[in-house]
Amino acid sequence: MVYYIYDGSFEGLLTAIYEAYYRRETPEKILSSDNVQNSLFIKYVHINTDQEKAQRVYDAIVQKISPSAAKNVLYAFLSEAQDAGTAIYRYLKLGWKMGKSVDSALAEPHVFRVHALRKKVSQEAGKMLGLVRFRLLKSGVYYAPIEPDFNILGIIAPHFKKRMPNQDWIIHDVKRKLAAFYSQGQYAIVPFEFKGALPLDDEEFDYQTLWKEYFQNIAIKSRINPRLQRQFMPVRYWKYLIETPGTQAKS
Amino acid sequence: MDLHTKLKILGAAAKYDVSCSSSGSSRRNRPGGLGNASLPGICHSWSDDGRCISLLKVLFTNCCAFNCLYCVNRATADVPRATFTPDEVAQLTINFYKRNYIEGLFLSSAVYKNPNYTMELLIATVKKLRKEYQFNGYIHLKAIPGADPLLIAEAGKYVDRMSVNIELPSSQGLQLLAPQKDRDSIIRPMGFIHSKILQAREERKLYKNAPLFVPAGQTTQLIVGATPDNDLKILKLSESLYKRFSLKRVYYSAYVPVTQHPNLPAIASPPLMREHRLYQADWLLRFYGFKADELLDETQPLLDTEIDPKSAWALKNLHLFPVEVNRADYEMLIRVPGIGVRSARRIIAARRYSSIDFETLKRFGVVLKRARHFITCRGKFYGERNINESTLYQLLKPASTQQKGISPASKQLTFSSLYPHVFQPEDVYTVITGEM
Ligand code: SF4
Repeated sequence: MVYYIYDGSFEGLLTAIYEAYYRRETPEKILSSDNVQNSLFIKYVHINTDQEKAQRVYDAIVQKISPSAAKNVLYAFLSEAQDAGTAIYRYLKLGWKMGKSVDSALAEPHVFRVHALRKKVSQEAGKMLGLVRFRLLKSGVYYAPIEPDFNILGIIAPHFKKRMPNQDWIIHDVKRKLAAFYSQGQYAIVPFEFKGALPLDDEEFDYQTLWKEYFQNIAIKSRINPRLQRQFMPVRYWKYLIETPGTQAKS
Repeated sequence: MDLHTKLKILGAAAKYDVSCSSSGSSRRNRPGGLGNASLPGICHSWSDDGRCISLLKVLFTNCCAFNCLYCVNRATADVPRATFTPDEVAQLTINFYKRNYIEGLFLSSAVYKNPNYTMELLIATVKKLRKEYQFNGYIHLKAIPGADPLLIAEAGKYVDRMSVNIELPSSQGLQLLAPQKDRDSIIRPMGFIHSKILQAREERKLYKNAPLFVPAGQTTQLIVGATPDNDLKILKLSESLYKRFSLKRVYYSAYVPVTQHPNLPAIASPPLMREHRLYQADWLLRFYGFKADELLDETQPLLDTEIDPKSAWALKNLHLFPVEVNRADYEMLIRVPGIGVRSARRIIAARRYSSIDFETLKRFGVVLKRARHFITCRGKFYGERNINESTLYQLLKPASTQQKGISPASKQLTFSSLYPHVFQPEDVYTVITGEM
């Protein structure tokens, strides 16, 4: 039994898929290097990431299958699920044969899995578009910390680039130590860690208070429903909000 | 009065307006401007009652010349009063928006002095936001019943959505509870807005740069349970509003008893289940091809509170079932209880490739607990045999509620465009602390 191990990057995964094709091998699994538990009965093949090979696979997905298949693959990858690499590999194998109709073959477990992962990731990204909260810093930069389940920073950044083109902002994935920095029409995503208190702008506190008060006030007392609130906005997303949900009990 | 107090009063006063949706408009950001309206609509938070907060929803003022009985702000009510200035509303909107608290502004108002005077203040506010602050985010404006059509036309140039609230489903209801409003002062502006929307759309076909007019359409709200109007009457009204004025949404709001009066029903709590069923039925009208008459009739003018309206319809029409999922057309599939638009589309797509088995249905999101009584799959029936309408009724309740998720409208992206590495990490600390 053969497992392919890649370095955890998207390009690494695509390189692994390239190698499997040209070596005419069918690895049982394709795993990211941080998911590997050694076993005596398995042959591990470490794949060296190669930009060019990765690009060729990516182009082939777009041309031979479809642009939306490329999106499926990327989003499923960003889920960081342990089986994502393997599912993507199998999905693509079927895709080379079937072309764009692979996305209708939902009865195939790997196609379904890739779709399910894509959906989870895009759902979280969609939710995060609303839940990001910027704080205005002394330096005039708007700073927002987040801790999403999936690696969605790159999916949400373009939205804020379009929406807030004239303000400098940073969205910081605290858990993954990654941040998107935006200034004047350009953004970059770089490894980033920041500890310590942030120097806030003088007006910031006032607007935070206005928002908190507004939030408390908007709930209709006879309809308080913490279960529903949590269902839409799971507690794990509350950490970096300005407002404080869940403080009002039913009277 | 300071801004905190004003926001407290005027935010609280606006909260009974249920329309939270910010969808249906995609307004692109212009150079130098702030914001855009995003098509699927974005929820930014959920308040403690579980409702989505998408827009900063405030009244411009709660000082009212009218005296609608069901309303907390009626002229004779003893409540604290406040009035914003156009600039205060604009500042709040801009600063909340820049921090990503909100998707835009929902501005409504009590009738201050008279309808025209109020409408002019509202126009001043939205104009300021668009022109002075270059705000391109979403704006929903309430048109004041009885205001001059010219003012409504002016306001429509700046906003994404406009609504005139019908509030009460019948003229008798209005007469009894909102004596200064009449059906005409509500329906006329709706008709007017509708014709302006159509006109603007035609003009934009000819000239690309013709001005927008309420691009996200108009909506309205009905209060449920403040008058004896039954569900059939309400759904028929909604149906005709969708048809005649192409309304985007009708919102239903369970009457919240805020005051007591002999003309008002004495109820302890808002009829939430009824509101929920009306939304489900409304959904069936808009997306499932149902007609109000199919769901209810004069002998049964109320929606069943125990089971959802689609199941109720199916029970009345058992002769149409079961249907074979591998053959039934889309229109029939979506009429099966437990099969929604999404799962029906999946079924149609997947069965082109291979016939579908029962296990697959589950993965497609079909609620088999309900659906199994109404379908066959590869000819096999999975429901209970020898069952009659009333035992089936028992099996179908309690129905679960369905919620719609949002997914971002994203384009094709490659990894390197998502994660460009052009900044140097060293630059980063100066950006964040402002220290060079
Ligand atoms: S006109 Fe509006 S604000 Fe004034 S009392 Fe009637 S419903 Fe309330």
